[in-house]
Amino acid sequence: MTVVRRLAPALLGVALAVLALGPALGPGFVLRYDMVFVPDPPILPDTGGFPRAVPSDLVMALLSRVVPAQLVQKAVLVGIFVLAATGAAALVPKGTLAKLAAAAFYGWNIYLAQRLLLGQWALLLGVAALPWAIKALAPGSGRAAWWWLPLALLPAAVGGFQAMLVSALALLPVAAFVRRLPAALLWLALLSLPWLVPALAAQAVTDPVGVDAFAARADGPFGVLGSLLAGGGIWNAEAGVPGQDDWWQATARLLLAVAGLAGFVRLGRSKERPAWWTGLAVASAAGLVIAALGPLVLEQLIALWPGFGPLRDGQVYVAPMVLAVAVGLSSLPVPRPLVIVAPLLVLPTFALGAFGRLDAVRYPGDWRAVQRIVNEDSAPGALLTLPWSAYRAHAWNEHRVILDPATKLFDRRVVWNDGLRIGMADGRVLVLDVEDPLARKVGEQLGRNVLDESTIRYVLLPASENTFLTDDPAWRPVFQGRELLLLRR
Amino acid sequence: MVRILAALIIGAVLAVGASAAVVNVAAPTAEAPPNQPLYNYGNR
Repeated sequence: MTVVRRLAPALLGVALAVLALGPALGPGFVLRYDMVFVPDPPILPDTGGFPRAVPSDLVMALLSRVVPAQLVQKAVLVGIFVLAATGAAALVPKGTLAKLAAAAFYGWNIYLAQRLLLGQWALLLGVAALPWAIKALAPGSGRAAWWWLPLALLPAAVGGFQAMLVSALALLPVAAFVRRLPAALLWLALLSLPWLVPALAAQAVTDPVGVDAFAARADGPFGVLGSLLAGGGIWNAEAGVPGQDDWWQATARLLLAVAGLAGFVRLGRSKERPAWWTGLAVASAAGLVIAALGPLVLEQLIALWPGFGPLRDGQVYVAPMVLAVAVGLSSLPVPRPLVIVAPLLVLPTFALGAFGRLDAVRYPGDWRAVQRIVNEDSAPGALLTLPWSAYRAHAWNEHRVILDPATKLFDRRVVWNDGLRIGMADGRVLVLDVEDPLARKVGEQLGRNVLDESTIRYVLLPASENTFLTDDPAWRPVFQGRELLLLRR
Repeated sequence: MVRILAALIIGAVLAVGASAAVVNVAAPTAEAPPNQPLYNYGNR
């Protein structure tokens, strides 16, 4: 019985994962927005623009040498739910049902749902492990060993810059209040090196225009602040769960979050107030301020120094508040079974891959064929992927928008347009500056219909859009399939 | 006793609302393919 009690949060995490991912756990890859896993990914250092997929892509590529990439992806996705549920439960000092109440909310909330639907699995690794890192910092947790904090931070370290920044926001106030600031600073800095060094070395720029594009938006009738308080408010309208803006769902989500915050305050006033409580309260408030007020000042700050760029997608920083709500719900004087099922009832359409928005698909054979041809070629030169835009909506992926898989498929430098296009509510399309210097140069050459021979060896195009340089005999087709056309110089 | 009654009522309201939300979403007017315009990272 004791074993079942100890395993209960993990089992709940698995159950939530199965329910949320549903069809996405079938054979194939789950591809949506930034979540692009490919078969046999290359082991390559990240080059080009800001190192957003560092070291996450490299770690996934290494793991894919041992286990098929699609299984690695499924393990990561299920792992996010299990880590989140067990971590939130671990922050609750006693009571199996109380632990499950925290676990249920932290493993099933709109923050997690929206970020998953935007494909930000790397960020979610860090968010899921956040409670474990907080527990590792707090005294009296029985986890005083020096290695426990770096171990708890490892998922965030794998996730990369966004995961580590969210972790830093939560951990630094906690560390300050429990007097373990040097240890927290040391490990946050050390584990950030894989992305920090290339970020400082990269000549990437951050376009201040992105502040408007990535600012939090209302995902229901309660405005931006109401959305953020409920844990939602992601910038992208297409990263929402179905029906999220219905008044019933939005009201229920907001009421549950407010109840959780009330529980968190109640916990802080009780004799059982944990050592990390004040730090998490400060981090929650700070995250909410960044998300809600950041756009007012960020444009000027980014113009002064591009390093403020990561703050432009401010909604990610409400993660500590989501954790505070989860812990708060566990301390409410309400029958626990209701608190355990409430997160599912207020967000029912997250189930079954958000009703099909997450699903597993197989790459058409063309992708493997071009991957083989390019990777077997030892001659130098980059691969240019066209059309000159980063995101695609393939029919074989049921028109879900994804980052071009070619950016991760080949064992050589891939040149792609990393200048994002965002459709604004007023119908304008914001186009952000290209970050990668080489992509900037190639983009200018494309505008003049002249391509530098010394840089580009391959051009990959959709077979249906073969309009590029086809008059130039120097570019010979080396593969022509139903999906893709590969040209070589 | 009052707390349990209140929890039962809240639970019933949540369950009915959740069922309505699911039925609403599962109705034939599903998500339109988000490929217009094709190459946007997203739309606000």
